[in-house]
Amino acid sequence: MVESKLSKRVQKLLTYIVLIAFSLFCLFPFLWMVITALKPADEVRSTTPSFFINNPTFENFQHVFWNTGFLTYFKNSLLVGVTATVLALLFSVFSAYALTRFMRFKGVKLVSVTMILSQMVPPVLLLVPLYIIMMQLGFLNSHISLIVAYTTFTIPLCTFMLTSFFSSIPIELEEAAEIDGCSKIGMICRVILPISIPGIVSTSLFAFVNAWNEFMFGYVFINDDSLRTLTPGLSLFKGLYTTDWGSIMSASVMSVLPVVILFLYLQKFLVEGMTAGAVKG
Amino acid sequence: MRASIGKDAQVQPFSRKEGPNRETKAKRIAYLFVLPSLLFFLVIVAYPLASVIWDSFHDKNLLNTGDGRFVGLANYVEVIRSEYFLQAALNTGIWTILSVAGEYVLGIIAALALAQGIRGRAIFRGIIIIPWVVPVVVAGLTWTWMLTPDYGVLNSWLVKLGLLDEPFYFLGEPDTALLSIIIVNIWRSFPFYTITFLAALQSIPRDIYEAAALDGLGPIGRFFKITLPQLKGVSIVLVMIHIIWTSINFDFIWVMTEGGPVHSSETLPIMIYRFAMQELNIGLASALASLLLAFMIIGFMMYYLYLNRKSDHRGGM
Repeated sequence: MVESKLSKRVQKLLTYIVLIAFSLFCLFPFLWMVITALKPADEVRSTTPSFFINNPTFENFQHVFWNTGFLTYFKNSLLVGVTATVLALLFSVFSAYALTRFMRFKGVKLVSVTMILSQMVPPVLLLVPLYIIMMQLGFLNSHISLIVAYTTFTIPLCTFMLTSFFSSIPIELEEAAEIDGCSKIGMICRVILPISIPGIVSTSLFAFVNAWNEFMFGYVFINDDSLRTLTPGLSLFKGLYTTDWGSIMSASVMSVLPVVILFLYLQKFLVEGMTAGAVKG
Repeated sequence: MRASIGKDAQVQPFSRKEGPNRETKAKRIAYLFVLPSLLFFLVIVAYPLASVIWDSFHDKNLLNTGDGRFVGLANYVEVIRSEYFLQAALNTGIWTILSVAGEYVLGIIAALALAQGIRGRAIFRGIIIIPWVVPVVVAGLTWTWMLTPDYGVLNSWLVKLGLLDEPFYFLGEPDTALLSIIIVNIWRSFPFYTITFLAALQSIPRDIYEAAALDGLGPIGRFFKITLPQLKGVSIVLVMIHIIWTSINFDFIWVMTEGGPVHSSETLPIMIYRFAMQELNIGLASALASLLLAFMIIGFMMYYLYLNRKSDHRGGM
């Protein structure tokens, strides 16, 4: 239109250059992680690191898989993550429903405000009292401490995400179910949940990734190596296998892989959830 | 509950045909539904928050040598006078400001590039979000490996390009440790800005740009005169959230340097951890946590006042 064809083309070229630069910046650490993981020890410790692998090998992966605590950490993270996600979702479904339909009650409004406020409270400030509470309840060195903490800290965001999905459901649907004699809980299970499956998927994904990536509580609450979760386990690898970067990187590859696959598969959902959370949070 | 029943009945003459206790029943269900979430909040957030403030005024530690007596502001004084407090406070400021500024700039550039209607943008978008999905620990470890002086790929490149004479221990030198972690933090966090800006950019009406182009405004002029002002609201929210998230971040610094060398990359959250888990002094850790909390509340109030003033201003017009 107003701009010449030439300047349009220049702009397009510039855009591609910028995007390719960003992609390299974002991807390079992963690429390097994978390359290192596939290199035999003598190639990892080369003073002239190269992209090309002379003798690609899975020995780092095998070593990490069989000779370290990796598999245990992985299982623990999976257990804690899935349990926390299920619990957070269970409670969030109900509170989100209340926030969608019953905002006219003062108590419900108050809960929604406390949820926004609780999202602003940084977990690190609560580290000390939570440690003491867990100690007094005998939950230290047990997965319960992590499950409780992760559930609590993801409930607000899960609730807000679900609220934004629930509020798009027409109230007539609910009224029809009620006339048919459904109880509120029956109605939620049979009407609301089936309609909001995309919302449930993205919300649970969010809760799971949060739990999977969490570091501080896992690091502080769990001392027993057989109960340790993945992120603190990985960070301790650095101390244990100081120079064995091949092993550390292959453990890293195996711990990001589930998240990245989940993410690429459900990218659209997660992006929606992120922006919803950002706007509301 | 009982007192409010009468009030509800008065407020709703319109629902009389549905029965007066329908609303009471709805209220009971509503409260029942929010109760579990509320309980979690009370036990895991509200009570600990209160005890942080309570403990900050008491002599308390995990070894039971403290007698738990009230000591007034003694903990606060000790925290502020402690050897590394000023440096940690300064580090927290540097860490937060540089991180958020860098994330903002990268985030907006990437969002602008993605907002152009070009082929393959979905793939580029997917790639650019990846750093944000990765656990901080993995990001920290990978960058630590790339930055190592012996065998690290970045050092080897910098030497080859002639920018460095010999490999440099970025994370092991007091001058560069914090800066290196800041760069890694920017790398991981800027995608969040990109995604949010991208959504916001798409809601700016096209015709504003077309009108500006007709007026002879170039791409740079359009960016400063239209795009930036349009993104102001989103920007303020994003920056506020990230100032909080960044200033209280524990993971990155702990995984990469544990606050070292010689406390040169120690921020206040790392100091809380040290007080609590290494010196086992609950009083000191709580006092420091309360100080941080106070700063945050002051920040929020300033933000709130700013918003209020702005809406007053707008109302006046």
